[in-house]
Amino acid sequence: MSVNIPNKLSGLPVSEPKWIGRSVDRVEDPLLLTGRAEFIDNLMLPGMLHCAILRSPYAHARIRGVDVSAAAELPGVAAIVTGEDARRWLRPMGTVPEGWGSHSIATDKVRFVGEPVAAVAGTSRYIAEDALELISVDYEPLPPVVDPEAAMEPGAPLIFEEHGTNVMLQRLFTWGAVDEAFRGADHVFTERFRWHRVGANPLETFGVVSQWDPLESTLTCHGSFQAPSMIALGAAVRLGLSPSKVRVIPHPHGGSFGGKGGGRGTDITAMLSRKSGGRPVKWIEDRIEYLIGGGSQAWDRRYEASLAVKNDGRVTALRIKLLDDLGATAEGYAAISAAKPLAAFTGCYAIPAAQYDLTIVATNKLPGSPYRGMGPPPHNFVLEQMMDLAAQGLGMDPGEFRRKNYIPSDAFPYTIPSGNEYDSGNYEAALDTALELSGYEQLRRDQEEARAAGRLVGIGLVNSIEPGVFNNNIYNLMGNAGGTAVPEGISISFDLFGKVLARVGFALEGQGQYTFVAQLLADYFGLTPGDVRVVCEDTLSSPTHFGPGGSRMAVVLTGAVLGAADLLRQRLVKVAAGLLRAGDPDRVEMMDGVLRLKANHEVQMPLRQVIGTILTRSDLLPPGVEPSVEATYVWTAPDRGLPDEQGRAKSYLTAANACHVVVVEIDPDTGMVTILKYFVTDDCGTRLNPAVVEGMTQGGIAQGVGAALLEEYVYDESGQILTSTFMDYLIPTIHEVPMSEKAVIVTPSPFTPLGIKGMGEGAMNT
Amino acid sequence: MVNKRTIHLKVNDLPYEALVEPRLTLVDLLRGELGLGGVHVGCEHGVCGACTVLIDGRAARSCIMLAVQADGANLQTVEGLRGEGGLHPIQEAFMLAHGLQCGFCTPGFLMSALELLGENPDPSDEEITETLGGNICRCTGYQSIIDAVRLAASKMMASSGKMDGMQR
Repeated sequence: MSVNIPNKLSGLPVSEPKWIGRSVDRVEDPLLLTGRAEFIDNLMLPGMLHCAILRSPYAHARIRGVDVSAAAELPGVAAIVTGEDARRWLRPMGTVPEGWGSHSIATDKVRFVGEPVAAVAGTSRYIAEDALELISVDYEPLPPVVDPEAAMEPGAPLIFEEHGTNVMLQRLFTWGAVDEAFRGADHVFTERFRWHRVGANPLETFGVVSQWDPLESTLTCHGSFQAPSMIALGAAVRLGLSPSKVRVIPHPHGGSFGGKGGGRGTDITAMLSRKSGGRPVKWIEDRIEYLIGGGSQAWDRRYEASLAVKNDGRVTALRIKLLDDLGATAEGYAAISAAKPLAAFTGCYAIPAAQYDLTIVATNKLPGSPYRGMGPPPHNFVLEQMMDLAAQGLGMDPGEFRRKNYIPSDAFPYTIPSGNEYDSGNYEAALDTALELSGYEQLRRDQEEARAAGRLVGIGLVNSIEPGVFNNNIYNLMGNAGGTAVPEGISISFDLFGKVLARVGFALEGQGQYTFVAQLLADYFGLTPGDVRVVCEDTLSSPTHFGPGGSRMAVVLTGAVLGAADLLRQRLVKVAAGLLRAGDPDRVEMMDGVLRLKANHEVQMPLRQVIGTILTRSDLLPPGVEPSVEATYVWTAPDRGLPDEQGRAKSYLTAANACHVVVVEIDPDTGMVTILKYFVTDDCGTRLNPAVVEGMTQGGIAQGVGAALLEEYVYDESGQILTSTFMDYLIPTIHEVPMSEKAVIVTPSPFTPLGIKGMGEGAMNT
Repeated sequence: MVNKRTIHLKVNDLPYEALVEPRLTLVDLLRGELGLGGVHVGCEHGVCGACTVLIDGRAARSCIMLAVQADGANLQTVEGLRGEGGLHPIQEAFMLAHGLQCGFCTPGFLMSALELLGENPDPSDEEITETLGGNICRCTGYQSIIDAVRLAASKMMASSGKMDGMQR
């Protein structure tokens, strides 16, 4: 059956949307505001044990032995696992690139401070932690390698001896005539940059409750999983089970930003449950564990970049060389953050040629994790810094220099040298709006005055492209088999009272997605958001899905909702054609919650009556119509392919863009930076819920400010981490985050449901 | 093992007696023993403020306090917030102003705001910021939280004004 998913609001069966596009109250909020949401640490199961994990104090050491005998004697201890159990029951973690993984508990050696070495399940967390103190581990310390440049030198200590090198991946991508462009340039600007380790730090750390069924050899895991189906698949692979033997139940979680990880904790609790005869085992990562050993760290990078520029200000080529320090293993998919920049390599600019020289290196630090933006924030920082340097070199205003190089608004869809296609945009309008919003000329005059008075006041102006709706084809750039489909499905059904149940595969995470579903279905069927209930299914009962990640949910969920709604609409029309004696269903339409004759709108029937008929009067149904009002639809981005030998592919479906203007002042005595003003112009196409968009933008600004001014994971030369609490790793508070003024540009995507573009991460870029 | 101690405390107007190890933290008592799962644990070292509760009317971090220290105290947690339509005006304001995203830090912010508005019904932005400086939110960037507290203040003043009028 063909399905109609409109890419414009006018394609919906509603004369004037009442809910889409408005800052509707979130359906998620009452549960969260009253403290009743079932975050994973609130889950208590009968007979549940609590896990604590013993972690390596060394960055690099061989394990000669682990003695757990004293711990096993402690009253209340039910099970202990070590590397021996991991070797027996688990395969090593899956990695990108492949072959750089260790077991969830160290088997032969430890490769970073904080790596799990043993774990205990006890009747309380207090007892489990007591037991850790009774475990003795015999380490043979090895020389650590902490600096990525040192890690590449011959004779450097090897993190995985079997590879004979610490270089995990090296690739050179060349797009267009780069060398010629640099030879023909009037000016070449070159600079080196360092982006320090930062990371997600959701307020809730990761947590999981695993239960092994010893009779069936199945595993059930409740947890704060961002991508439950992927966790289930990963756990199944590591445990050697078929995926149908692993049930993953996602719980609402207190933020993720990519940093919820969870593979190791899932494995460890699964083994402890197995060893304790099938009792449920809970592990709640504490903050110190999160900071030193969780899904917390990303983007430890050294860049060198060059820009080829003509006298008239046109940029003709961009070269970026990246040395990416991924840490001790390539577990998970953190390395994708070095590949994602291909989706927006040249930013907002019509730069015809570019080169990316990429090296990923292992060191004795915590393995990297995904983090909001997944790589483009550092990349965009480098690109925009280069644009500033060039503007300065040419004596041009940074805004005007950028304007000269924007992709023109009539050039979309536009394919950038690195192969991705941008759907829509009007960068000049975004710039002009930002200049106007900020009173840019006045800001410059004020700045001049302040500088004359000896104050160190600066103005920053940056652009960004936010690639939205990720595609697995970027995995192919890292040598993994990525594929092209990233599905998102939803099942919707009507009950006899005309209310809707929508079933999805992902839990609450903060971005208001359940509200989107309610808004969309309310407008589609002439209901209110309160008529829609959205529930989260586990991985064995949910429609095929991926879940949140890569700025995709507003787009993909809208696709899924509208697909399923259209399937239902077709059925309703078919049945109504009989009830309204229209004969041919083509003569009937659904609009504003009624089924009516196209030729005579007076002949109509409310939706609820048609639903009631379908559910209760099988005798009135046309042949072949099932007696239910439910449908499932799984959406994936159209027209994606695998990359060519230079990595070129249509990867991310949407290209939201933004222009930010910031005024800062530096205290010359202390070096303290104060943000005086902050302005944002943002274009993410059609907005489902503007308040949600603004919240994402402001939240992204906060994380950007944190990365730029406050946050940094610091390791000393022996690989010890020095930032293991929130006293050392500084999350921006209300005092440091600027309150922003925002303006909106809307260039709807021609390729997506309702013209929406993904936008959950972009404000990090700028 | 150290001897357990018996403590008495009041939480959300209900009296409790508990037999606790001296090392048990207050948040573990509230969450684990009393089932008050709305008190969230974000850092366990007193920085993030997610575990904020009111102890004898003062906002405090329940993760760096021992349960035995709360012996005899009167506590209020997010579970104790009530209003006419079900939600307390501060909770309503957070919903209307989109003052939350993932909602994990929210109970702590609500309790800090409750303390502030109890003492200062019409706070300035600076006073709001000063009070909420001890609560970390990783999602919102705080702008909508300030809006929410402002809105809550005006809602609460309007409703107390109405009540004053009725009394007169």
